[in-house]
Amino acid sequence: MASANSAEAPADVPAGPQYLPASVQGAVKILVTGPFGVGKTTLVGSLSEITPLRTEETMTAASSGVDDLTGHSGKTTTTVALDFGRITLNPRLALYLFGTPGQQRFWPLWDDLSRGALGAIAMVDLRRPDESFDVLGRLEEQRIPFAVAVNTFPGTPSYPEEELRSALDLLPEVPILYCDARDRRQSYDLLIDFVDHLHRSSLLELPG
Amino acid sequence: MSGPVRPYVITGGRSRPTRSDLAIESLVSALPDPPELPEHVLLNREHRRILGLCHSLLSVAEVAAHLGLPLGVVKVLVGDLWDLGAVQVLPPVPQAERLPTTLLEEVLVGLRQLR
Repeated sequence: MASANSAEAPADVPAGPQYLPASVQGAVKILVTGPFGVGKTTLVGSLSEITPLRTEETMTAASSGVDDLTGHSGKTTTTVALDFGRITLNPRLALYLFGTPGQQRFWPLWDDLSRGALGAIAMVDLRRPDESFDVLGRLEEQRIPFAVAVNTFPGTPSYPEEELRSALDLLPEVPILYCDARDRRQSYDLLIDFVDHLHRSSLLELPG
Repeated sequence: MSGPVRPYVITGGRSRPTRSDLAIESLVSALPDPPELPEHVLLNREHRRILGLCHSLLSVAEVAAHLGLPLGVVKVLVGDLWDLGAVQVLPPVPQAERLPTTLLEEVLVGLRQLR
């Protein structure tokens, strides 16, 4: 299937920037979030048309009790790495996928990262589901539409959906999706199911 | 006070973009015929690097990644260039409070074709 991706194949150095077609008029974004090591970068890499990129954001936050070993009070500056990828959806529209850390200490970044997002895919590692509680709570609080994505790499335990839903304390409208984030096809199916869910929800919310 | 402070030297001490509507997915490209800059305006090295990189469309996030600068710094610098009329900025698509159904449809169709 011909697409905007291949329309203007760049002949430059592979490592250089891969520009969007000049016809693109704007971008949308979806966050890929979850605890450290859950597979966010793997999923972004399976979906992205460009080699995933890493950027950094500096975050100033009040020193927390845990980090404050020096006795200083006040502010600390932390650097947070964000991995992201891109899909050119059609000649006019691009989608960015931002891997967004899902631990509480990164909340200062969240308002900025999540503003305008279509939604978030919250990845869960079933060997340590408790590490996802922070981020699931935050998504609910911020009213960001989301789905839970169970990364099914080998060795992942399986639970009946109702058990998992209750363990993660999910509202009934939050879909639970499964994929091996290393597999492009499965990752695409996951993303399509998620956007399909967003689309159906938007139809339900139409007035009248 | 070495590493973390340095970015704010580049931006002249400003940590907020002059245009608050710059997002990480905003798209930037240098204008082919930028207006003559006023005499008092001095672009720094990082401004020039952004102009050099953005001869075609890239997101703010991609600019930051390729130049190895923090996102916040790039937002400030791109904001400067935008104010000067040296770059074109395409804001993120959903600008309404509620996501338009037609936009989600467009995303869905695009993804299904690429699958």
